[in-house]
Amino acid sequence: MPFDQGGLQDVHRAVRQRRSPAWAVAAALLAPSAVFLAAFTYWPILSATLRALTEQRFGQAPSWGLGNFTRLFADDRFATAVGNSALYALGTIGPSLLLALAFALALRESGRLNALLRTMLVMPLLIPLVAAAALFTFILLPGGGLLDWHLAKLGIGASNWLGSPDTALGAIIAITIWKNTGYYMLFFLAGLAGIPEEYHEAAKLDGAGPFTRLRRITLPLLGPTLGFVFIIALLNALTQVDHVVTMTRGGPSDSTNMILYYIYQQSEQNMDHGLAAAATVVSVAGLLALAMLALRTLERGIHYES
Amino acid sequence: MKANRAPVRLLVCAAALLWLVPFAWMAVAALRPQVAGALDAASLLPTGPFTLANFAEAWRSGRFPVWYLNTVFVCGGILAIQCVTVSLAGYAFARLRFPGSNWVFTAFLLQLLLPPVVLIVPNLEMITRLGLYDSLGGIMAPYCASAFGVFLMRQTFRSIPRDFEDAAQVDGATRLQAIRHVLLPLAAPGLAAFAIVSVTAHWNEFLWPLMVVSSPRNQVLTVGLASFTASAESGADWGLMAAGTMLVAGPLLLGFLAFQRRFVSSLVFTGLK
Amino acid sequence: MRILRAAAAALGLMAGAAIAPALAATDIDFFFPVPVQGKLANEMQALVERFNKENPDIRVTAVYTGSYDDTNVKTRAAIQAGRPPAASMQSANFVREYVITGDAMPLDDLIRKDGAAPADYMQRFWPALRVNAMEGGRVYGIPFHNSTPLLYINEAAFKEVGLDPAKPPSTWAEWVEAAKKLTRRDGTNTTRWGLMLPATYDYLGWITSGLVMSNGGAYYNEYWGGEVFYNTASTIGAVQFLDDLVHKHKVMPSGVNDANAVTNAFFSGRSAMMVLSTGSLSFVRDNMKLPYRTAFLPFNIAAAVPIGGASLIIPKGNSPERVAAAWKLINWFVSPEIAGHWSRFTGYFAPRIAASDLPEMKAFMASHPDAKVALDQLAHARSWFATYNTVAVRKALEDQVQAVLNGKIKAPEAMALAQRNADALLKPYIDQGALKLPQ
Repeated sequence: MPFDQGGLQDVHRAVRQRRSPAWAVAAALLAPSAVFLAAFTYWPILSATLRALTEQRFGQAPSWGLGNFTRLFADDRFATAVGNSALYALGTIGPSLLLALAFALALRESGRLNALLRTMLVMPLLIPLVAAAALFTFILLPGGGLLDWHLAKLGIGASNWLGSPDTALGAIIAITIWKNTGYYMLFFLAGLAGIPEEYHEAAKLDGAGPFTRLRRITLPLLGPTLGFVFIIALLNALTQVDHVVTMTRGGPSDSTNMILYYIYQQSEQNMDHGLAAAATVVSVAGLLALAMLALRTLERGIHYES
Repeated sequence: MKANRAPVRLLVCAAALLWLVPFAWMAVAALRPQVAGALDAASLLPTGPFTLANFAEAWRSGRFPVWYLNTVFVCGGILAIQCVTVSLAGYAFARLRFPGSNWVFTAFLLQLLLPPVVLIVPNLEMITRLGLYDSLGGIMAPYCASAFGVFLMRQTFRSIPRDFEDAAQVDGATRLQAIRHVLLPLAAPGLAAFAIVSVTAHWNEFLWPLMVVSSPRNQVLTVGLASFTASAESGADWGLMAAGTMLVAGPLLLGFLAFQRRFVSSLVFTGLK
Repeated sequence: MRILRAAAAALGLMAGAAIAPALAATDIDFFFPVPVQGKLANEMQALVERFNKENPDIRVTAVYTGSYDDTNVKTRAAIQAGRPPAASMQSANFVREYVITGDAMPLDDLIRKDGAAPADYMQRFWPALRVNAMEGGRVYGIPFHNSTPLLYINEAAFKEVGLDPAKPPSTWAEWVEAAKKLTRRDGTNTTRWGLMLPATYDYLGWITSGLVMSNGGAYYNEYWGGEVFYNTASTIGAVQFLDDLVHKHKVMPSGVNDANAVTNAFFSGRSAMMVLSTGSLSFVRDNMKLPYRTAFLPFNIAAAVPIGGASLIIPKGNSPERVAAAWKLINWFVSPEIAGHWSRFTGYFAPRIAASDLPEMKAFMASHPDAKVALDQLAHARSWFATYNTVAVRKALEDQVQAVLNGKIKAPEAMALAQRNADALLKPYIDQGALKLPQ
């Protein structure tokens, strides 16, 4: 720039200092967001905690106590829901991330065919989960449904996918993997694109084979992306229950009951608001703890990289 | 690497075809004439005459125009309010130094880990208390502040040099004017990316609208579709169910196919940030 | 000029007269479920439109709210939010719980205002329906449509194995024997099952209670909503019977099948018999291309079946105008003509006794023997189980029966578990009722 930089900066500072103090301006700018956050994130946590600590049984006056929590932890159905959620998280996060990474690695180059294949894999992302549930209700129909009908042609007998506690959760997991893998693939594609080509070239010159390059260069540099996608997948696993609500309603025999569905059931079906609030408090605490753990591990990973 | 590319290619092609199967069935079944107790409803082969009767019946018995209008209103409304809240907050975190800014930022970020659906029970109580039960505003309210958006905007603003808005302020612009006329246009790619993520997320939201709304005239696409398909399934009317699903998924898929590149790059942009 | 002014005034008066009733029309909403298969949602909307046309001073918005369980959830949410629907169609056995929680309006006063005594009013409905409609001697739910579980049989399959379709099985022993003959296997694959029944939530509890009653049991305490009898011989026997059908006699597929899978199998000949609600009668009639027949549910000790179906309630918290409009709608729905029409359209039988005296109904019954069977079974019908926290208490049983059907647990252990879970759910009510003694 043709004029004196230092002088201009002095002017800028003077301009800034003449205005109101930073915290007042900040408060004004943050107020709109803060109002909504307070109303729909922080106050609900507080009110759920208060409600969880209020025991109100049929025909009795409300009183303070930990009764709701005792009942919650003594409830087999809650234990089942937690177990199912853990299984569901493992069953969806692992395979979808692996598949998404594999697809991203295979399809990262440009080209007509690759673009087409990428599109086909990403399409499920666009439809609502309830639409996917509707389609899969037919696909998994015992006997006459898409899967069983075609399996019959291969000589395999019909299975009641959604009707057996052994396979129902697996079916729900499969639907989620189908829905989300393409989405995660996009993030991996972006991450891969961010790795400079020179690294691969240099490694090739050093005689490194494709798998070595994958292990030593690609995966470590994908660290941040992996962490980010992991957290998104975790959140999805714990909050996407649309298919449970419309297809299995937690059954058969509670085998697809998840934490969020349990909360919905206790609140809406059993009208046990104290129990629902206690479950909400426990799941919020658990979610925060899990996420903090994931973030801490992620940060450490990034730290070692840089 | 070139030697073993073919089998990998083949595997990925097979996987992609497998991924497409539900959509393929949806299209075939929607166009297939409905035969009572159809035994070959599962066939993927488009045999026989094509008919649009299922679409006509779906349009007649569903309320797709209402659902679409409501969904557009909700997603658009949320986005409009979010643009204001996240831009202001993002600016505050990006440009202002004030005591405790890190703590406040963390408090904002916490919401990232607590999507409103986790707090569905207390949020429903709040909505009811505000008199917003069974209204579109009730669906929109919890989403008007977006921690994700604030985070994204902060990163975006940070990447823009201060010179532009400082110059504007020297010219006499207020801070708000500087944000609106100088910063936001420069941050357009970030905002656009956020817009796409936000609309996609809220378009597909189900459990929250299900609990907030009961009148048919306030239903959004997901809720309407769920009740439509439940009713079609109870009649074992798979063609009708497929047609209804296609009426919902179709526009989104078409839109995606048309604006693929921008869509993908937006999602990727937000991921990188 | 004067003519123009007069004309304008007349037009204004006419316009005002036309607008005024519309302005004065009472807007009410009506929640309804579609618990069985068939195009009932559309027909209900058509009926409501007809009501609106016949009653211009009332504008009813019919809201389809899913299954019985979903409708219950939606109605309670609306009540909690301070916006109760004017009328709601609830599963007949949910009425008791609405009374327990104080959410349903007693209808005695409305009946009296119309000039009838509540007891006489209830005489208009079949006796089996009255228990679920009343609580503490007062009327809370007006029966809208009702059903009983029916046995549907594939006549051709019967003939094929040497059975007489005109003599369907009437006892459990005959049932098992017929099912065994009808089951066809091809190696390890079963190409035709002897029997299938829906085992999803709500359906399973209903059918199981029917089997329990057939086994001499009561299933629940009809007089007080605090007790269920899961861990009793009659219930254990019924559940064991289901277990045997799947694992011992191997005539029924394992796992939980929903109504769609069951009817799919029946229509395609992959199941020779099925147990299904009479509410699906029209659906079966429309879709079953092979000759079929309906029969009573077979019994072991006593010929007894539960009623099913729905009642119309008016939730508390509605203004007098809304209540009056809702009462008009309800009585229109249960008029012999409308009740008869709905019965012929769906397969549910009209709870209104007078409906079967109408000539259209008599002609219909004469030409549709399958519907006649459903009506005849009413003679053996008893009330549907209704307790405090009905849905959760019912699920306590259903989860266990589903596990039995999947071979995870045996009947005695399952029923002990179900009883324990149910008792835990009923405890708050029991503590405020039977176990609340003077100090």
